[in-house]
Amino acid sequence: MKRYIPYAVILGLVWCFVHGTINLNNFVLGFIFAPFIMIPFKPLYNFEHDFSVKRGIKKIPPLARYSFVLITEIIKANIVLAKIVLKPKMDIKPGIIAVPIRTKTELGTTVIANTITLTPGTLTIDISDDRSFLYVHTIDASDPDAVARSIRDGLEKYVLEAFE
Amino acid sequence: MIVDTILEILSNIFLVIGLFFVFLGMLGLVRLPDVYNRLHTTTKIGTLGAFGVMISILLKVGFSPIGVKAITVGLFLLLTAPIAAHMIGRAAHRHGVGLCDESVVDEYGKVCTIKK
Repeated sequence: MKRYIPYAVILGLVWCFVHGTINLNNFVLGFIFAPFIMIPFKPLYNFEHDFSVKRGIKKIPPLARYSFVLITEIIKANIVLAKIVLKPKMDIKPGIIAVPIRTKTELGTTVIANTITLTPGTLTIDISDDRSFLYVHTIDASDPDAVARSIRDGLEKYVLEAFE
Repeated sequence: MIVDTILEILSNIFLVIGLFFVFLGMLGLVRLPDVYNRLHTTTKIGTLGAFGVMISILLKVGFSPIGVKAITVGLFLLLTAPIAAHMIGRAAHRHGVGLCDESVVDEYGKVCTIKK
């Protein structure tokens, strides 16, 4: 029961935001209904993981750094794509390449896959069976090593800091 | 009074930026050659375009119920758009949709043929 509480708090806040008015009544309502949402989807929640406030506070600066990097990368991605779309002559060399990843937990792998999709010129297609490679479709595959290197140095570092 | 005017102008600027990026996304959908390249435009540009419109709504109405809902919609789009693109791309590749002629490398194709 104790492990339900952190998730119930988060779901209560989400309910407040979806409802549009953030006040105590809505939060309590969301908090009460949260277990009924969680029980059918039990395998999706990691109940073994212990929440510790100290660790959570320690994670705030890496999370802020990761959010900042994500926002700048999204804006960069849009400018790169806008240039490609508006160019009169299409000269792209797309391809699917395998990119090694170092994340171990499921949350870390999900976050790195989603981050790759939102960053310039890359789109995650699938993960290998042993979870050590991501198959990434990239608009400019003329130099696969450079793409893998930019993911490893640019993004994975921040994801590893913030979510592992 | 001045603050209201500034917010109004900022809101309109964000609306124009958002709609411009949505337009670029649709243009990319028509111009780019195959399903994977088209997914690039619809996810990335679609996300920023929709986010721009949501920020515009937030600036126009403030933190009223509509504004809070707009920002929630934007955050959920940011979370779900990559997953949708990932699933569409994977399904397309597994059904044998080939890459366009300009493609130079397909390391995933090798794995797929071995699995079969």
